[in-house]
Amino acid sequence: MSSHNESILREPLITGKDITYAKVTDDILLPVENKPNKAWWIGFIIAALGAMLWVVSVGYTFWTGIGAWGLNKTVGWAWDITDFVWWVGIGHAGTLISAVLLLFRQNWRNSINRSAEAMTIFAVICAATYVVAHMGRPWLAYWIFPLPNQFGSLWVNFNSPLVWDAFAISTYFTVSLVFWYCGLLPDIATVRDRATGLKRKIYKVLSFGWNGSVKTWQRFEIVSLILAGISTPLVLSVHTIVSMDFATSVIPGWHTTIFPPYFVAGAIFSGFAMVQTLLLILRKVMNFENYITMFHIESMNKIIMVTGSIVGIAYLTELFIAWYSGSEYEMYAFANRIAGPYAWAYWAMMTCNVISPQLFWFKKIRTSIPISWVLSIVVNIGMWFERFVIIVTSLHRDYLPSSWAMFYPTWVDVGIFIGSIGLFFTLFLLFLRFLPSIAIAEVKLLLKSASLQQKTKLAQEGAFPDEQVKYFENSLEKYDSVSEEDIKALDVRK
Amino acid sequence: MDSNKKYWKGLEELQQTPAFIESNKGEFAEPIPVEDVLNEAGLSTRTPRRDFLKALGFGLGAVTLAACNRTPVHKAVPYVIKPEEVTPGIPNYYASSFNGQSVLVRTREGRPISLAANPNSIGLNQGTDATTAAVVLDLYDMSKLQNPQLDGQDVDWSTLDKTVIDALNKAAGTGKQIAIVSNTVNSPSSLAAIAAFKTKYPTATHIQVDAVSYSGILEANRASFGKAVIPSYHLANANVVVSVAADFLGSWLAGEEHTQDYIQNRDYKSLKNGKMSRHIQFESGLSMTGSNADVRIAIKPSEEGAVLISLYNAITGQSLAGGVANKKAQTAIVLAAKELTNNRGNAVVVAGANDVNIQLLANAINSALGAYGAIIDLDNYSKQYEGSDAAFQQFLSAATAGQVGAALFLNSNPVYDYFKAEDVSNALAKIDFTLSFADRADETASILKAVAPTSSFLESWGDASAKEGYYTIVQPTINPVFNTRQAEQSLLVWAGDNTNIYDFVRKIWEENILAGTGKSWNDVLQTGFIYKGSSVGSSYTANVDVNAIANAIGATSKAIVGDFELKLYESTVLRDGRYANNAFLQELPDPVSKVTWDNYAALNPRDAENLGLGEHGKVSVEANGYTVELPVVLQPGQAQGTVSIAVGYGRTKVGKAGNNVGQNAFPFARLVNGTVQFEAKATVTKASGTYELAQTQTHHTIEGRNIIRETTFAKYLKDPNSESGRFADSHKTYDLWNKFESPGHKWVMAIDLNACTGCGSCIVACSVENNVPVVGRDEVRRRREMHWLRIDRYYTLEQEDGTKLTEEKEIAKATDYDYENVTVVHQPMLCQHCDHAPCETVCPVLATVHSSEGLNHMAYNRCFGTRYCANNCPYKVRRFNWFNYWNDARFDNYLNNEFTQLVLNPDVTARSRGVMEKCSMCIQRIQGGKLQAKMENRKLKDGDVKMACQEACSANAIIFGDVNDPESEVSKALRNERVYYVLEEINVQPNIGYMTKVRNTFEA
Repeated sequence: MSSHNESILREPLITGKDITYAKVTDDILLPVENKPNKAWWIGFIIAALGAMLWVVSVGYTFWTGIGAWGLNKTVGWAWDITDFVWWVGIGHAGTLISAVLLLFRQNWRNSINRSAEAMTIFAVICAATYVVAHMGRPWLAYWIFPLPNQFGSLWVNFNSPLVWDAFAISTYFTVSLVFWYCGLLPDIATVRDRATGLKRKIYKVLSFGWNGSVKTWQRFEIVSLILAGISTPLVLSVHTIVSMDFATSVIPGWHTTIFPPYFVAGAIFSGFAMVQTLLLILRKVMNFENYITMFHIESMNKIIMVTGSIVGIAYLTELFIAWYSGSEYEMYAFANRIAGPYAWAYWAMMTCNVISPQLFWFKKIRTSIPISWVLSIVVNIGMWFERFVIIVTSLHRDYLPSSWAMFYPTWVDVGIFIGSIGLFFTLFLLFLRFLPSIAIAEVKLLLKSASLQQKTKLAQEGAFPDEQVKYFENSLEKYDSVSEEDIKALDVRK
Repeated sequence: MDSNKKYWKGLEELQQTPAFIESNKGEFAEPIPVEDVLNEAGLSTRTPRRDFLKALGFGLGAVTLAACNRTPVHKAVPYVIKPEEVTPGIPNYYASSFNGQSVLVRTREGRPISLAANPNSIGLNQGTDATTAAVVLDLYDMSKLQNPQLDGQDVDWSTLDKTVIDALNKAAGTGKQIAIVSNTVNSPSSLAAIAAFKTKYPTATHIQVDAVSYSGILEANRASFGKAVIPSYHLANANVVVSVAADFLGSWLAGEEHTQDYIQNRDYKSLKNGKMSRHIQFESGLSMTGSNADVRIAIKPSEEGAVLISLYNAITGQSLAGGVANKKAQTAIVLAAKELTNNRGNAVVVAGANDVNIQLLANAINSALGAYGAIIDLDNYSKQYEGSDAAFQQFLSAATAGQVGAALFLNSNPVYDYFKAEDVSNALAKIDFTLSFADRADETASILKAVAPTSSFLESWGDASAKEGYYTIVQPTINPVFNTRQAEQSLLVWAGDNTNIYDFVRKIWEENILAGTGKSWNDVLQTGFIYKGSSVGSSYTANVDVNAIANAIGATSKAIVGDFELKLYESTVLRDGRYANNAFLQELPDPVSKVTWDNYAALNPRDAENLGLGEHGKVSVEANGYTVELPVVLQPGQAQGTVSIAVGYGRTKVGKAGNNVGQNAFPFARLVNGTVQFEAKATVTKASGTYELAQTQTHHTIEGRNIIRETTFAKYLKDPNSESGRFADSHKTYDLWNKFESPGHKWVMAIDLNACTGCGSCIVACSVENNVPVVGRDEVRRRREMHWLRIDRYYTLEQEDGTKLTEEKEIAKATDYDYENVTVVHQPMLCQHCDHAPCETVCPVLATVHSSEGLNHMAYNRCFGTRYCANNCPYKVRRFNWFNYWNDARFDNYLNNEFTQLVLNPDVTARSRGVMEKCSMCIQRIQGGKLQAKMENRKLKDGDVKMACQEACSANAIIFGDVNDPESEVSKALRNERVYYVLEEINVQPNIGYMTKVRNTFEA
């Protein structure tokens, strides 16, 4: 990959001067090899308090029963499954970035895949907690798996989407974890090689005896490719199956064939938004501006815009089909979303998910860091409301009006949700401290081909026509990590 | 051949090397450092790796074995000497009676667990009211007194007896009156015990007073016919029923008996014969009876008399002054009068007011209609309400004047339910000795000198005579649980008669009741009742001075005309408040408003709007100098300018469940012309604050959906299929799923929407049978009631031009609408046991599966509570145990003690938290029926198995059976043209057929 010269028409993936392999290592391992700074501690304490809230809320639920939540006879799922689907959806970006973009040779993924995958794993952990926590008798959660048992020939119900779900989520989690960890091996070996004492011992065990030989690297590449191949269908399958939790039911508003593609698009949408939220802070706090550049930010914004549009079309299609079906229950379900007691949630969803990503048609907005960050959060708020709208507004008014009811969350519902965000950030911040948050080895691959430094050098040598250099110069203007001087340097030979 | 071959294991053994000999001495080839380990230096010895592994293996194994400890087993102690009649697991049934109805008490291993109607009885022989269905819980009520009390201290019976006898002798000695104040006593043995008491204490008088009084009817009949009795109403003979403010299917007189009769002219069998009665109701608040009427006109309480006057005029052609001015009522009266006169002899008018004049006028109308005899029976009259308001008045004045030396209160709680509680307390203070027989320290008992707690009817011998000539036995089904003694025994003891109550009751029966019937005491214990009355009543003519009455009515009506007119009513659920501590009843939703655990002020939505009230609003109601703050129910059908409040709430000393539930409305009553009347002029003002009532249904219209199908009688006569819209007949259905085969039985139900009155006794019976937990007000507010069976009630608002509004949106737009014209439908809703059950496919662990008998089973043990089944149930009939309701301190109003848990039906598991539950079609009853048939070596017959809900339904609206048997009642019912299935279009293939509601409306 690194043997040829990349066209100057492609924007650089690594900026900065005097970037060497050693500097890449030093830069990325800075947080791992040094004491955490104040910002990290503040973040960690807040996140840990959130995680404590999660422990308290879940503990209270386990102690007293699901009645601690606001659910009722009509609305049997609300915040629990909303949060579950939300987290699973967020967990989608990681695999997409690491597997699908790898297969499509999108090199820009190399800077962001590590943290995106870590985010995936932590998001799936958060989602999995809901699978257990929402059960009436969580201590029997293992019954979801077809384990041999002494209950006679008692098996699970393979007709039930919840069983499919258990398989889908556990497979997804396992493959993501393996993929992530395999990718980490060369970098853990790097940490090991630079560390001393106990730390070295620990990283030695964690590095699985990585020795950096050609054979190791070759196997590493093959494993990565195979895992990418295995993961790719999972990107589609997990949220397809999650969507079937609803689509296979008889409840108007759930019983919809559009759900699988619509859920997958929504999941990628929210996943990228979450990656954006995290990385925009990460690159600033960790000084990773040279590795996570404006190009990355803009690319992700484009994906958010595209998937957001798909989601928007899905919403409109649903409305059309509800009307076209002629089914009074279906029509009512959607009329109720638009104008019923939860209309505010529907319009919050519409605004956040359909209108806000359309702002990314403007390059100014697409390349503005503060706006991108705000919008990435707006998108995830919207996606939370999407799941809330699907679950609660469909359930609360279904077939028999006598049973129509409202759902009001309790402090425990809120506590578990906020707590799960705390749990997520606790895990993520620990990850930042103990593992390299950018794939060192993979970034190094790009250094000789896609860095600004290399392209400047080639440009100075006159390898590219002037108009191409001019074009390249213009494309650099949006970069916050590229100075005037860097741009001028391109023209030195004149 | 010699067997001296030698095998050797190695050359060392063959050659017997010294090393081998040495090593062969020990048991093990290698030395094991057991000694080293066991001696004191053991801990410091070097442990070889293998030993470590062995120890680890042993340790792990031992710990595993030790951990295989079974869950502690609570052993049930078997009988040492088994009573002959008790077989564990097999229920025993005893004939008894409750509130005069002949019932069968089901006992299991010596404890009563449920009551059902005695099917062989005459009169009310099918179904019970909610109170009867629920009353078994009261036996196990921990709020009851466990010992007799003197001055609030527990004493033993001999001490109490001595004190009581001294006090009675003292009172008798000074010539002061001894009063026994009771509610209506119609039990021959109780009356005999009172008579014995009177013989001993000649100054004793017996005063009967009912909390909800029917003195007006008694006095009116005394004036009209010289007979101060309450007649029996045989509504089966009535083609037209006009009710003026009488909730005759609910709380008015014998509601359940009326229901049984009334439905005979309206259910599917009657319709099949082309016959349906017409029911016209004039009333202020929407009562359960009003909700079943074909035509209902909202009138103010002050117009009740005027409506009767107009009706009288229209029927007799006279022109009494003071007819009704209300236009709608006038139109209806013309039509009603036409109907009534066309059906002379088969038509009846009932009036609910406890006003002598109104009842006299009703008598005159009925006399003109020829209703006396076939419909109104004055010969086999009812003895359920003989209380006299006047007698109690006299008692109060005598007591206040210090003429009463002792007062004994039997089933009477006037401090709570008399409208002037203060007068009662003042009077009581002037009495030297007061005693109550109450089973708990209620509002009256707690301020009296002594309490002699009476036993529950399930612990007592006794009898009842609810009707002239009709006698029912009360026999005990359990020994007194607490140190209680039934009141009759106490009276006998104090009268110096030491006869055992059993001998006493038996003697009375054998001497008085059984004489001449040819039946023995044992026959009665088996059959439970004796009937000696005539089959038909004779004809009577009322002599009434209608002109004088019309004037009097005009005067009394005027007194209650105001901005708001208050109407007190007895709710069908809690009645007069006597059973307010029964959690099953508190949680039973009101048939119309669906409110539980509270009473409320029912206002017309327009009035509420004018007062600036929305949902959860509160009002302050003032009448007769009494003010109370109550939450508001926006009640469609409520007459404008009226407010209705239920009595029976606001008890303060009844027990954990019933204390401070709602507000007491009895003080609103007034004494008019010697009777306690429940109408008053009131001021209604908005009160500050909000209050959320616990309602089981908060959306009240069907939104135009075809889940309810209804037609009119005229249309039905033309086409019995009318409006039933049978989906299966007109559509071809395609199935994704395999058909479920039910080769043996297939259990199904048919529910007749025309028969169901919405009373809700099925709900209670189901809860009692299936151990359905009571969850309390807060949980109901959170919409978490557990009822397996509910009754959905939907309103349709009719506009002036005849259009019907069933959608909330339309109703919101119809701003000129007065909310008075409303039609109501009640739809019992329970698990439909769908053949293609959506719940079954989604359960991940197969906790809910289909049986080969067409039932949708629920395996509680397998359920881990994902709630997906409940979400996916289109009927929303699945109920989740959000908490451990039967064992959680926060639900401490019900089952939270080992004693009350004895009420649980041992055939049905008490579900733990986190588990889904729902109607099982009383699977335990089906299995029991099958086993019984098997033991008797016969096939199961139709009718062998009855559902609890079906048993409790006096309207026979629920028909259960095997659809594979084409001759079963349910198969026949399901072949009816009116049958439709709710939500059949989504092809879940429900197994409960509903029959289209038919209304016998006036045709334009």
